[in-house]
Amino acid sequence: MALQTISSWSGRIGTVVLGATPSEGGSRSIRYTIGGEQDLPFVGDPPSGHLPLVAYELCDDPAIWPPVVREFLGDLAGDPGAWAREAERSYRPDLVRLFLTSTRKRDFQDYAGLRRTIEEVLQQATLPLIIEGSTDQAVDSEVFAACGEAGEGERLLLGTAEAGRYRSVAAAAMAYGHAVIAQSPIDINLAKQLNILLRETGVPADRIVIDPYTGALGYGFEYSYSVMERIRTSALKGDADLAMPMISGAPDTLTIREVREASPAIRQDVAMKWELYTALSSALAGASIVCVRHPQTIAPLREAISAHWGGAGEG
Amino acid sequence: MPLKALDIYKLLPRKNCKECGDPTCLTFAMKLASGKGEVDRCPYLDEQTRNILGSSTRPPIRLVRVGVGERSFAVGDELVQFRHEKTFYHPPGVMVAVSDLWTREKVQEVVARVRDTVIVRVGTDLRLDGVAIRGQSGDPSTFRKAVEAVEDIADLPEVLMAGEPAVMDQGLAVCGHFRPLIHAATPLNHEAMAGLARDYGCPLAVKPDSPGDLEALVARCTDRGVKNLVLDPAASSLHRFQNVSSAIRQQAITRTTPSLGYPVFLDAAATGMQDAAIVTGILRFASVIVVEDPGPASLLALLTLRQNIYTDPQKPIQMTPGVYRVGNPGPDAPVLLTVNFSLTFFTLQGYLEAARVPCFMVIVDTEGLSVLTAVAAGKLSEALVAESLKKFGMESEVSHRSLIIPGYAAPLSGRIEEATGWKAMVGPRDAADIGEYLEKEWKH
Repeated sequence: MALQTISSWSGRIGTVVLGATPSEGGSRSIRYTIGGEQDLPFVGDPPSGHLPLVAYELCDDPAIWPPVVREFLGDLAGDPGAWAREAERSYRPDLVRLFLTSTRKRDFQDYAGLRRTIEEVLQQATLPLIIEGSTDQAVDSEVFAACGEAGEGERLLLGTAEAGRYRSVAAAAMAYGHAVIAQSPIDINLAKQLNILLRETGVPADRIVIDPYTGALGYGFEYSYSVMERIRTSALKGDADLAMPMISGAPDTLTIREVREASPAIRQDVAMKWELYTALSSALAGASIVCVRHPQTIAPLREAISAHWGGAGEG
Repeated sequence: MPLKALDIYKLLPRKNCKECGDPTCLTFAMKLASGKGEVDRCPYLDEQTRNILGSSTRPPIRLVRVGVGERSFAVGDELVQFRHEKTFYHPPGVMVAVSDLWTREKVQEVVARVRDTVIVRVGTDLRLDGVAIRGQSGDPSTFRKAVEAVEDIADLPEVLMAGEPAVMDQGLAVCGHFRPLIHAATPLNHEAMAGLARDYGCPLAVKPDSPGDLEALVARCTDRGVKNLVLDPAASSLHRFQNVSSAIRQQAITRTTPSLGYPVFLDAAATGMQDAAIVTGILRFASVIVVEDPGPASLLALLTLRQNIYTDPQKPIQMTPGVYRVGNPGPDAPVLLTVNFSLTFFTLQGYLEAARVPCFMVIVDTEGLSVLTAVAAGKLSEALVAESLKKFGMESEVSHRSLIIPGYAAPLSGRIEEATGWKAMVGPRDAADIGEYLEKEWKH
C-alpha cells in the first residue's frame, strides 16, 4: 500500500523555456523547460513538472568574487570565456550564469567590451546562459541593450528586474526574445507586485522567473526558505501572479564569516557544504534553478536533486 | 476527526469525582479536547471509550523523549506542515553512529567529540544530540561492550541499533534505564522488541519492510503496551523518504491516520548521500537523524540549517539597537548607519570585517525591518537617526560628522542632514560593495 500526500491543489506553475538550439535559431546544445509543477516540490511518483536545474555562476571581473573561489580557480577566473568552457566541460552544470561585474566599476562605459565578453562566453560554452547585467540605473539601459543584442536568438535569462528598476531589462528581453529574472526582497507581496508591473510592461508570464532573494544559510536563509514555500503554495492555490518558476542563488554564501574564518585545511570544504545545504534546501522549497559558485558543489548538488526526483532524472 | 469538548463530555462518567485532578468532568473534557489532558487520569472509563478518546484527544504527533538528564531531548508534538503556518517546535536529534566492530578507543573518540563539540551562533549553543550504536557484529557481548564504552565516558542520549532481540537485550542491560531509543521493531522481531521497550520504558522505533506497512506494525506494538514510538519508514531513496515523511506529517496533523502520529526516524548514512539526506531530514520532518561522524564542515552547515528552520518565523530576529564596532575604530573612523534586521546586520558586518576598515556600525531600531521595507514603511526616519546618534553618544566617539547611510535610504539623505547636522554620504545598496566604497569614498 502506498503512503502518499493527499493533494487538492488547483493551480499549476507556468513554464519558461531557456536556451535555443540551432533548429530554434540559437546556438545552444540543449534547451530547457522549467516549471510546470502541480504539486509541492518533488512530491509524486514521478514528481510533477520539470527537474530543477543547477546554474554555475561566474563573472567578467573577479575583483569582488569570493576569494575562496578565486583561490580554487587560479588564473581561470580572469578569463570569462575559458572559465565558462572549463565549467561546462569539467564541472558539468546545467546552465551558466554570467555576472557582468565589470559594470559596477565607477563611470563604466565599455559597452563594446561587454558585447565581446558575452559573444566569447556564448562561443566557448554551449549551455543555455543567464546574464546578470548592471546594478546601476545610470548604465542599465545600455548594458541591458548590449546583453539583449549580443544574445539575440539564444533565449537568455536576463537579470535583474527590481521594483524600481525593471524597464531597461524588460525592454531588452522583449526586443531580443529573452526571459527576465524578477527580484524582490524576501517578500511575497512585493514579488507579486513586480510580476504585475512586468506584465503591464508587456513581458508575458512565460518569460518571467521569480527571484525571491536568498539570504545565506545562517544569515536569514530561513526567511527566504519560507517565502519560497509561500510563493509556491500560493501559486498552487491558484494565484496566477505568483505561478512562475523560481530561481535561487544566495550571493553572500561564500563570503560569510564561517567560510572566511575556516582554517585553510577545511575552507574549500566549508564553502562547498554551505552551498550544497543552501541550494538543496532552496530546491526543496520550490526553486527551479539553484545557483552555486564553487565548482565542487555542482556534482553533489545535481546528484542530490536527481535522487529526490526519483533517480531517473530528465533533460 | 478531533472530538469537541461536549462530545467528549458525553463519554465521561459525568459524576464530577475530581479523581482526575479537575473540578468537573466538563473541565476535564475541555482539557482533552485541546490536547492537554491525559485520558488515563479518569479511572472510570472502559477500554473501548479509552481507545476512542485516546486517538482523538492526544496531540496529533506524540511527544517522545530520548535519553535522560541535561542532554536528553524531546521530539514530536508538531502542529503544522509548513513552518510559516506557525513554527516547528522540536528540532531533530542528530545522533552520530559508532559501530560495535570498532575498537573501544575509536568509539570513545567519536563519543567524546559528540559530547564536547559546541558551536555558538547568534548567541545560542548548537550541539550534536547523541550517539547511535550500531550492532553490526550480531554478537550480544560485543554489542554490550560497545554500549559500555559509550556509557563509560558520556551521559548522552543513545539509539541502540540491533535487529536481534538477544543482542538488544545486552545493550539494554547496560543503558536501558537511561531511555535509549530502541531500533528497531520489525515484522519479524516486534513481539520481543516491544516486550523489551515495555519492560525498560524505552521509546521504540518501528521499521516495516515498506512504508505502507507502518500502520499495521504500529498497531501491533501499541497493542503490546508500548506508547512511545518512532516511525522508520524504511524508504528506499531520498525521493521516497521525502514523499513518505511528508505524507506521514500531513496525515498525522490532520488526524486522518492517528496511528501515524509519531516522530519520524531517518538513517541518513544509509542513503549513501549523507549531506543530502541530512538536508531532507531537517526540512522534511525527520525527528531523529542518524549520521556517520559528519566532519567539521558538514557539522557546521547542518547545525546552522537546523537552527534556521526551527527558528520561529513569526519573530523577526532583531539586533539590539546601539553602536557595534568593527575592529578598533578611532575618532576618525567611518560611521555606518543601518537597521536592526539581523540579516542586514550580519551581512554588512561580514563585508566590513572582510574590508578590514575599522569602523562604527550604528544600528537603529526599525523593529527588525530591512532597509528597503523600513524606508517604505516610514520606520527609518530622520528623527530616528537623529535620536539614535544622540542616544548612542556618537558625537563624542568620532571627531568628524559624516554618516554613511544605506543606498536604499538615499531618499532620506537631505532630511537626515537637516535633522542631525551630520553630512549624509549615500553608501552602496548592496553590502557586498561596501569595501570598495570605503576604499574610494572614505579614504579621499
